Amino acid sequence: MNILLYIAIMIFGAFLGNRGRLPKALMKRMDTIQFLCLLLLLFIMGVSIGLDEEVIRSFGTIGLQGIIFALASIIFSIIGVRLIAKKVLVKGGEGE
Amino acid sequence: MSVMILLTVALGVLSGIFLFPESLGDSMGFWISLGLGLLLFFVGIDIGSNRGILGKIRRIGFKVFLVPLMVAVGSILGTTAAGILMGMNPIESAAIGAGFGWYSLSAIELSKHSAYLGTLAFVTNISREVIALVSIPFIAKYIGKVEAIAPAGATAMDTVLPVISRSTNAHIAIISFITGVVLSSLVPILVPLIMLFS
Repeated sequence: MNILLYIAIMIFGAFLGNRGRLPKALMKRMDTIQFLCLLLLLFIMGVSIGLDEEVIRSFGTIGLQGIIFALASIIFSIIGVRLIAKKVLVKGGEGE
Repeated sequence: MSVMILLTVALGVLSGIFLFPESLGDSMGFWISLGLGLLLFFVGIDIGSNRGILGKIRRIGFKVFLVPLMVAVGSILGTTAAGILMGMNPIESAAIGAGFGWYSLSAIELSKHSAYLGTLAFVTNISREVIALVSIPFIAKYIGKVEAIAPAGATAMDTVLPVISRSTNAHIAIISFITGVVLSSLVPILVPLIMLFS
């Protein structure tokens, strides 16, 4: 359900951005605004981890296993994507 | 950027432990959704103001789905290999990998089998999200922009998307979003499916 809401919000934003009627001052600061929103979200996420005693306690015991799993899946994912990366870049496009 | 991200998460965790009352825990889901909504709105504006980007994605066509496919295969192979090396059950290890960084769902699904497995899935996938947040700016710079999507997994469509969007460009941001949507829809199917073999 949340996924649909997120898609709707993004499409709404994309629509507004595409019309090009938003104030220039706002568009110029878009990077900064996004980063501040991101930091706010990460702070909230951090708080929700910190509030959960169960998670904090379990991090000590199986934290290492989890981190090894996480690193292994990340490294193998990067290798996998590297194999096909060229196929999804449009020549001469911004994707390069 | 990475330092700021890490510091902010750490600051949040510490204030969660020492500062905020535990009663706040119930409303955290709401605050996270609100923060996410705000962020996605601005990412949307960014994508929309890049004219012609949708046409480019259309030219890539179905090949765009190669990215989530490779992330899925890589994630599951990675945790299976690591699990075998650590002397764990390979099927359970594969199921943890199929969480693709979506810690809440994979943890809930796997705690049906055992609390230990649920907690391990939680810790693994939350670590994946945090490592993705911190490492993506470096991966985009030194390895490649498409590869920068890989660490994020299912979170490539929400929490990690802004970092990918900042470290790469609007073109990669759209591929990232599509990747996240595909992987997120696979988690509730793949995790129980893999556990059928245990």
